[in-house]
Amino acid sequence: MRYPRLIAVIGTAAFLLLAGLGFTSTADAQTQTIQVSNAWARRAAMAHGGMAMGSMDKGSMDKGSMDKGAMDKGGMAKMDSGATGAVYATIANTGKEADALVSASSDASQTVELHETKNEGGVMKMRPVPKIAVPPGGKVEMKPGGYHVMLLGLKRDLKPGEKVTVTLKFERGGEVRVDAPVK
Amino acid sequence: MRFFGRGSGIAALALVLAMAGPARSAEFKGGLLTPPKAAPDFTLTTQDGKDFRLSRERGNVVALWFGYTFCPDVCPTTLSELAQARTRLGADAKRFRIVFVTVDPERDTPARLREYSNAFNRSFTSLTGSPDRLAEVRRAYGVTAEKHVVAGTSAMYLIDHSAFVYVIDPAGQLRLMFPFGMSIDDMVHDFKQLLHP
Repeated sequence: MRYPRLIAVIGTAAFLLLAGLGFTSTADAQTQTIQVSNAWARRAAMAHGGMAMGSMDKGSMDKGSMDKGAMDKGGMAKMDSGATGAVYATIANTGKEADALVSASSDASQTVELHETKNEGGVMKMRPVPKIAVPPGGKVEMKPGGYHVMLLGLKRDLKPGEKVTVTLKFERGGEVRVDAPVK
Repeated sequence: MRFFGRGSGIAALALVLAMAGPARSAEFKGGLLTPPKAAPDFTLTTQDGKDFRLSRERGNVVALWFGYTFCPDVCPTTLSELAQARTRLGADAKRFRIVFVTVDPERDTPARLREYSNAFNRSFTSLTGSPDRLAEVRRAYGVTAEKHVVAGTSAMYLIDHSAFVYVIDPAGQLRLMFPFGMSIDDMVHDFKQLLHP
């Protein structure tokens, strides 16, 4: 009985070790394929005159960005009083496989979304997008009049000289934390 | 969900077409309106709760922009570019006025406009008014503003709007339209042309 048990222990240890190695090496490779540069945030003032954003139901907001069901009037009315901000950056994918920015988070605002502005015959249309593709060996520049990380319901003023920390989550590349200076 | 007139879009398109092609001159970098027409006058309420009447700005160059404070991208970009252009005008800045007219009177109260303007540049004149009066002003300038309730965002609504800067000369004539993304150098060039013809 002792011998098989030893094999089982060794086997389990080996499995855990390999799994651990595998996981670690994958994670390393993933984070290395995405490089974020030239991040900056637009200065903005929160709406002091509006309703207190802190009173918002956190639960409904967390799933709110992609969930139509969360678009209930109650939550929206509170959200509506908030001010907005935008974060821009250049994202490079040095890997061999397509990747995509799928979400972003920040403690600077109640909600963070990915948005795109399109100029259609001189009329600007801003819309949320589910993700921003970053082709292998290519890069995407988030800039005014194009893609931006949209901060909704600012919790504080964004003043020049300060920084906004945003965590960008990629389909393959994992999470990348970015400090965006406010300009 | 459209709360604002659609007809204004046609007027905007007509203006865009009018400024394409031969209207581009060596004298100006922006789109030239030929012939120039008297800038439609209006009176709206400033961020300080005072009346602002456009026709009282004779002698100044006015850069008129329609937007909303909830817009974090195109609106602050344009306004900050205009502010930078203003700084570059040096002594001429006192004859140059940046006027921001909201397309979102529901959210953009004078108090909100004050916070917003202060975050960028206190020299802005930010204007609001009743929805009807704002719609009249937009119609007069051929500005489009369409409200949309959009899925996939926690914003209650977004507004698609024209992204031109309307430039009025010291004689009160509507002379130029700047498309989004025009360089600050080109803006400064055109403002100087109008201030020192």
